[in-house]
Amino acid sequence: MRALIRSRPAQTSLLGAIVVVGCVLAPASTALAGVLGPDSAGGSPNAEGIRSLYFLIFAIALIIFVGVGGLIAFTVYRFRARPGVEAQQTKGNNRLEIGWTVGAALVLVLISLVTFLKLDQIRNPPNSDANGVSSPRNASFTPGPAKPAIPPNGRSLNIDVTGQQYLWRYSYADADTNSLNNVFSYEQMVVPTGTTVSLRIRAQDVQHSWWIPDLGGKFDAVPGYTNYTWFKISEPGVYRGQCAELCGRGHATMIASVKAVSPAAFRVWYAEQKAAIAAAKQDAATARNALLAKQEAAAKAMPSEPAVKAVPAPAAAIDGKKIFVAGVPATGALACGSCHALKDAGSNAAVGPNLDVVLKPDNAAMIKESILYPNKEIAKGYAKGIMPLNYGKTLTSAQLNALVKYIDEAVHGK
Amino acid sequence: MTSATSSAPQTAVPEIVVDSAKPPQSGWLAWLTTTDHKRIGIMYMVAAWMFLVIGGVEALLIRLQLAVPDNTLLSPQTYNALFTMHGTTMVFLFLMPMIVGLANYIVPLMIGARDMAFPKLNALSFWLFIAGGIVFYGSLLFSPAECGWTCYAPLSETAFSPSNGVDSWIFLVHLTGVTSFIGALNLFVTITNMRAPGMSWGRVPLYVWTMLVQSILLIISIPVIAGAVTLLLTDRHFGTHFYDPTNGGSPLLWQHLFWFFGHPEVYILVLPGFGIISEILPVFSRKPIFGYKAIVAATLAIAVIGTLVWAHHMFTVPLPFFLLVFFMLGTYLVAIPTGVKIFNWIFTMWRGAIEFPVSMLYSLGFLATFLLGGITGIFLATFPVDWQLHDTYFVVAHFHYTIVGGAVFALMAGIYYWFPKITGRLLDEKLGKVSFALTLSGFWITFLIQHSAGLSGMPRRVYEYADVNNLGLYNMISTIGSFILALGVLLTIVNIVKGLRSGAKAGPDPWRGNTLEWFTPSPPPVNNFDVVPRIRSVEPMQDIRRQIARQDRVPEEAGTAAGS
Repeated sequence: MRALIRSRPAQTSLLGAIVVVGCVLAPASTALAGVLGPDSAGGSPNAEGIRSLYFLIFAIALIIFVGVGGLIAFTVYRFRARPGVEAQQTKGNNRLEIGWTVGAALVLVLISLVTFLKLDQIRNPPNSDANGVSSPRNASFTPGPAKPAIPPNGRSLNIDVTGQQYLWRYSYADADTNSLNNVFSYEQMVVPTGTTVSLRIRAQDVQHSWWIPDLGGKFDAVPGYTNYTWFKISEPGVYRGQCAELCGRGHATMIASVKAVSPAAFRVWYAEQKAAIAAAKQDAATARNALLAKQEAAAKAMPSEPAVKAVPAPAAAIDGKKIFVAGVPATGALACGSCHALKDAGSNAAVGPNLDVVLKPDNAAMIKESILYPNKEIAKGYAKGIMPLNYGKTLTSAQLNALVKYIDEAVHGK
Repeated sequence: MTSATSSAPQTAVPEIVVDSAKPPQSGWLAWLTTTDHKRIGIMYMVAAWMFLVIGGVEALLIRLQLAVPDNTLLSPQTYNALFTMHGTTMVFLFLMPMIVGLANYIVPLMIGARDMAFPKLNALSFWLFIAGGIVFYGSLLFSPAECGWTCYAPLSETAFSPSNGVDSWIFLVHLTGVTSFIGALNLFVTITNMRAPGMSWGRVPLYVWTMLVQSILLIISIPVIAGAVTLLLTDRHFGTHFYDPTNGGSPLLWQHLFWFFGHPEVYILVLPGFGIISEILPVFSRKPIFGYKAIVAATLAIAVIGTLVWAHHMFTVPLPFFLLVFFMLGTYLVAIPTGVKIFNWIFTMWRGAIEFPVSMLYSLGFLATFLLGGITGIFLATFPVDWQLHDTYFVVAHFHYTIVGGAVFALMAGIYYWFPKITGRLLDEKLGKVSFALTLSGFWITFLIQHSAGLSGMPRRVYEYADVNNLGLYNMISTIGSFILALGVLLTIVNIVKGLRSGAKAGPDPWRGNTLEWFTPSPPPVNNFDVVPRIRSVEPMQDIRRQIARQDRVPEEAGTAAGS
């Protein structure tokens, strides 16, 4: 531009004008991406939509810039002061002025139209491909003030994205309402290709902004608010981005990436993660039970037991059936009958296995083992970690023995 | 006051008799105690330029840190403090005082007033600005704010910004806010009440029009930011939770309040620039302004629409869809009056006889730069595109194009244009042209490439970046440009110092100007005008020149008639 407006000889100005316009147009024809437009390609349909909308507006903008810039350059060159030429004392021209006001409005109407045409591709997620992965149906996001980005058939892989100083955490929604046992990861999110991934974006401390350029625009993670976006990746690969809202000293290092793998590979990864979490949980439970058993043994070994602890009543006096049906509310021992079916006790609950069936082969010692360490051996079709692990603590050994005796007799007959 | 009783009873006209006038103070005390709008204006401008130098050095440090990928020159803490200080300084301590200072000096002269309406308030306003600057830079002694000039909550809450840097930022906003608010009231009252006889609203110079509208915008928006930072202050120190989401507060409340001020602030900064350009272009095209009424209407339209589009800074937060559309279309609307102005300026030059002193060159630099800044604004107003561009270097480039293009270049034009009036001396045109060439080219080199950096995925406010997508190259170009720009500004400072010492005498009207300030001597006397002429058009000086020419011609013609 500088060359245009110097009061230098005419040729320099004209040459300058050509050089500037050339500089703008030449790279436009060759390397568009990165220099003149978003450097995002091959990621997700929404990123593609934004990119094509950008270039449509860019085309209009380039015409305006070259047109108006050229008009300025021409005016400055053509009407420079020359001896003997007087300035024309016009004060305005209503027709001309109304003309360019309407003209400017029309250009904006055009840009609005283009934007609305592209909006569907950018905002609304398509369905996943046939082999896509989806979260269990009851794991869908509940709509808040902003609407979750869910495809028409309602099947998407739902991931919770949480920003915190200076880290992104991803949690994969599963069937139960307990989010503590969800598969999770930090910094790198693993997703299947051909799958519509729906993100619920939140923040835990200050504001952050989720942004993977190839996978669509930014969505701010605002503490106290919930934001949603989506993407659908067709090509496997790693897509990189970073937090885009100043969040403190580590803002520049708060990076994020999305690793897209085939749906089959994703299922394997997901199962491995789930198994690892379950194994870790089991390890923790075992360690906890071992600790409890040790404490109990220590307590028994101690001859001068504090008077507070109730003296165990004789086994015969304790009603095992009552414990089975009602539990021991005072210590928090849950009733067996509220989860398990047992004909003799009149219970037909189905959360856990039917005891008449699964305990048939077991003797009393094995029944006791199953009550104290429920995860050791699991009936087919049932999950670990559902039955409480605390019966060793909430029942006295006399109560436990009475309970075992009752169950044993109820299953095998007296 | 020895008058009334001793005077003769038949005296009908009341009179005030003064025994003795205080001798005018001299030296620095005269400056400290002055209520003269011209001296206050000069002090504003000098202080503003000191802050420009400070803010400029901060910018250069930022550019040095970003010159190469993964640089370790500055720590993240220092870097965050630097861009916070740079943004805050340039907005609150350079541009706003510079605009107020220039208006303080020029507006009363342009409308034929002898001072501002409230001279003591004017002085108070200036000293509060200085206090704001000291309070803010006082935080250098402990730990400056690191939350950016937008200071988003909850990052700016004590839990995440425990140092008192944020408090000093809050007090800066309060103090300079009061400065701007009472300054705007003063200017508003001055313009509405103290115009020369005959200067009806259709004859008010366009610069004065823009300052009037700018004052109204300040009066609307300053109380909102003052309230917002007060809430932040009580959150930080008195246990309230306005912005604290863990206790029912809302971080988005801060953003709405901040941008309700922050967006009109953009027009507060650029409207005066529009006014300056509307004065300079006609003078050096030797033509009247094209479409005076349209430009006034466009100014009003920009102010009204500009107040209603603040949430286009918030397209990426959770907002209902209809709001996204509303704020996108509203922002598009601003482009219409802005476009109207650009065409009016071009057609002011059309069929003119354009001269190219430095102030005109800066005006043309303004046109080209602001044109691109306006066009990139359309991209950002389109919310799906903004989702990709928001908070990247594309935005950094965009707002530097609008603010530096729209406000700084216009102010530079204004300085070169009015320096002879203020000091009575001319600036060196040759040095000025070198300075202009460096400033403009430096600016374009620095910021044009930043669009590409943003498009390639570089977010703003990061102290380091990886060398992917040519980011290293883009940033190196930008850093080189910033030093060229700095050299250009430095040369203007040299030019000003040189001009003060040894500039050629300017005379009352070196440019053959159109407006009333060129009617009085340079520099103007304390009372500005001995006689205020009656105003008959937007270009009173043209009328006066024509009248003088007529008067000269009459005896001449009479003489020739007698001789023949």
